Amino acid sequence: MNLWLGLLVGFKEIWAHKFRSFLTMLGVILGVASLLSMFSLTAGIAKGMREYMQQVGGLEQVSVIPQEPPEEQQLFADTSPGRTIRDAESIVRSAPLVSTVTPVSILSSAAIHRGATTIRGEVDGCWPSFVEINKHNVALGRNLCDLDLEEAKRVCVVGKVIVDRLWPEIPNYNPLGETILLNNRPFTIVGVFEYYERDRDKRRRELGLDKVKATPAPRKKGSRSTRSAFSTANIPFLSKNSTIIVPISTMMFEFKSAYMVGGVDQGPTVKLDALTFQVADLNRFQEALQQVTRILHETHRAVDDFAYSTHEEMFDSIEQNIHETRMSGGLIAGISLLVGGIGIMNIMLASITERIREIGVRRAVGAKPRDIFVQIVVESAVIGFIGGLLGLVASTGMMQLLIYISPGKNAPVVELENVLISFGFAVVIGVLSGLYPAWKASRLDPIEALRYG
Amino acid sequence: MPLIELTDVVKRYKIGEQEILALDGINLIIEQGEYAAIIGPSGSGKSTLMHLLGCLDTPTSGTMLIDGVDVSRASGNKLSEMRNQKIGFVFQSFNLLPKLTVLQNVELPMIYAGVSARERRERAMVAIERVELQNRAKNTPLQLSGGQMQRVAIARALVNNPRIVFADEPTGNLDSKTGANILQLFRELSTGGCTIVLVTHDAKIAAQTPRRIEIRDGKIVDAEAMDPVLSGAVLLPRPA
Repeated sequence: MNLWLGLLVGFKEIWAHKFRSFLTMLGVILGVASLLSMFSLTAGIAKGMREYMQQVGGLEQVSVIPQEPPEEQQLFADTSPGRTIRDAESIVRSAPLVSTVTPVSILSSAAIHRGATTIRGEVDGCWPSFVEINKHNVALGRNLCDLDLEEAKRVCVVGKVIVDRLWPEIPNYNPLGETILLNNRPFTIVGVFEYYERDRDKRRRELGLDKVKATPAPRKKGSRSTRSAFSTANIPFLSKNSTIIVPISTMMFEFKSAYMVGGVDQGPTVKLDALTFQVADLNRFQEALQQVTRILHETHRAVDDFAYSTHEEMFDSIEQNIHETRMSGGLIAGISLLVGGIGIMNIMLASITERIREIGVRRAVGAKPRDIFVQIVVESAVIGFIGGLLGLVASTGMMQLLIYISPGKNAPVVELENVLISFGFAVVIGVLSGLYPAWKASRLDPIEALRYG
Repeated sequence: MPLIELTDVVKRYKIGEQEILALDGINLIIEQGEYAAIIGPSGSGKSTLMHLLGCLDTPTSGTMLIDGVDVSRASGNKLSEMRNQKIGFVFQSFNLLPKLTVLQNVELPMIYAGVSARERRERAMVAIERVELQNRAKNTPLQLSGGQMQRVAIARALVNNPRIVFADEPTGNLDSKTGANILQLFRELSTGGCTIVLVTHDAKIAAQTPRRIEIRDGKIVDAEAMDPVLSGAVLLPRPA
């Protein structure tokens, strides 16, 4: 008996017991559906995370962060000026392994006025290199320039969301040359950043599939859409789209010469809120950090009051999370598929008991034990096969359901590899759960089998 | 060369602790073209003998040649092949597969012989015509009468052109008229050259066959029955 005939017999047997076969398959169908949905969901999350990583500046971006100096340095810790623009200038001059650097001085929760419209946001005083380091793109107008810096001009480059919120009545307004007030100081808009979004959203927007506005509506406090489980990747885009940068010199003159914290005048400050640089060559990452360390030891008078923050750890933990989610989800879905397999085995065992006489007849007319074995395995494999196919179909429905239940920002990504794994697993389960019943059936004594029932 | 030759065949069963001697030293020769009946009361060992002759089982000791092949120590696969190629079975309870059509039931032995689909169909139709059921080929067994079912079973037994057909109480589930028809069919097949062995406990049925092999307590009772020449089943040419 060849395989083709075995398949035919298998299909016939399944067709003869349609409802029973369907119930048996249901286990496999749900197993495959949950396995593939799980894989696709985690793939979607992973994709969102990776896009986010790209947007926040990648691995080559390093921040110098303040750190409590060690105890033995406490006595002369005061001699260190902390992070200042001098650090940034020294790094530019003396660290060839660093491609760019920017000092950042932040004015948080600044009042931003345009006419009667007031919003609050963060203003970053920086160098023009800020744009490169933070993977910004200027879509309209120009970036800040060295002349702005030197003359401490009151100019700014703003994010698209800021423009949309200041001119809500005009979509895609070109605000170049307009003057806005930052904490009541007039600033001229010289550039607008591009609108940052995920590839998928961009495609959908361009195809006009989304009825949603191109830019998100002003966020309501605590609104659910920004708090849903899948939306974490959207927040960096929102903050990135809300960026306002001004020359750091302007920032110092206009806002930091009399620095107010909680209504108390802190006096002038030259300390930076952030110092970020970009390593030229990732392969010489540690070397670059050593260079910077030597420079900062000079400027900080040998006080170890700084450390580095890279995205590496964050990226590692994100990758780790993705991996763990995938594994645990896969395990649970795999168990449900296994339960489906047990269902198949159970039904096959019942089915051979029911067909002992048939097996006897087949043996009497010349079927070899091997033929009976193949017949049962093929039947069980066919259940796995059809169940697997239906499971793939069901998984699309299941994913729609998941999207409906939690309309997150990370849509599931169906990868061919995962489709093949899920389907293959179903077929393997089908074959494996047929082995024992088939072995049992093939070992029946033909005489006893003929007498049975 | 005889078609079947049994020498000192013994078959023992073990049921729990108890050992049962089902066949106790059987010597038997069956020639090509014979029409014989194995007769005996239930428990006499006639079914066991048929199972051995039909290659469903192997003897505990002794030798058994079927069509020149020693099957006394044959493997399961070899026995399957023998059943498939050289032996046809007709059972008391027909043993047709209820989910298959008449045609598919008759095709069954050829599936395991590796016959192509087209040839299977042709040969199955020929066999079905031989038992005059050509207009029921698409029906399933459950739509047929007992006599028709038994004729399907006979067609299935004949379809691989076996050397010998065993019929185990073939009329046991049929009324006497239908039974008589079936026996008539066997007679015709025998006249056509088939070797047929009936297994029955019914002396009236056995009386219709030229040769009777009576078995009792695992032994062949009638000495004549052991040899077809002595029993008169085969006529020797008269000495000139």
